[in-house]
Amino acid sequence: MANESMTIRDNADAKIVDVNEDLGSYAAADLRKAIDRLINEASQQIVVNLSQVQHINSTAIGAMVGAAKRLRQNNGDLKVYGLADNLKRTFDLVGASSVLEIYNSESSALAAF
Amino acid sequence: MTQAEKTEQEILKFTVPSCLEYIRPIQVFIGQLAQQLGFCRTRIYDIELIIDEVCSNAIEHGSETPNSGIDLTLMFDSSKLEIHVRDKGKCVQGNWLATGRLDEVSQKMTPDSERGHGIFLAEKLSDSLEILTNPLGGTDVQVVFYFSPSNDS
Repeated sequence: MANESMTIRDNADAKIVDVNEDLGSYAAADLRKAIDRLINEASQQIVVNLSQVQHINSTAIGAMVGAAKRLRQNNGDLKVYGLADNLKRTFDLVGASSVLEIYNSESSALAAF
Repeated sequence: MTQAEKTEQEILKFTVPSCLEYIRPIQVFIGQLAQQLGFCRTRIYDIELIIDEVCSNAIEHGSETPNSGIDLTLMFDSSKLEIHVRDKGKCVQGNWLATGRLDEVSQKMTPDSERGHGIFLAEKLSDSLEILTNPLGGTDVQVVFYFSPSNDS
């Protein structure tokens, strides 16, 4: 499944969301919809790849925080990886680094499930 | 145009429809202006992020329809870049963040809050943030970025 801003890959352990453009207000809505769709389809383990993202806003971060909270209620989780320094700083400023599990690589994110 | 050459204040004003699609072009424009003025890369990133947060709030919470529009005013000289974003408010909601309500909202925020972080990012990343109720019944958000000799230019 793909659209302009993201691609979804299947892995044995999780669904992987590759975000292919910056996550401003407009694209954040697409991310929220994509994650909601995966959760509605009973995906319990989701990894979001942010390695191609240069800008992110609080709406996009909030969408991932909300999804992680819902998934954890059913023993699932949402993990993220590939954050550039600016993105990591934004995650830190809104406190999301203490809520979401953040990894450097896809393999380490998948291994953490 | 460089920071050193710009001694008198210049003012740019424009209005865009209240549509999220316009935020990225506005970010790019103001980001390039900040670059020309001599701000460093990190500050340009912060300015672009704040534009996203403040404009999306003005569109989502302070605009009745896409035609309501948000007004942007940029004022810049050799010492600072000042950005004002004005919305017209909603009939029911009025100004979405009345003056003085920031503390009230702040007390409800936690790291796992899904919404409401934008205005606090603006507060943390700018040198000055003011939120005012405007005569139209909407909200004016004013942010200022001063040049820092150690970081900019």
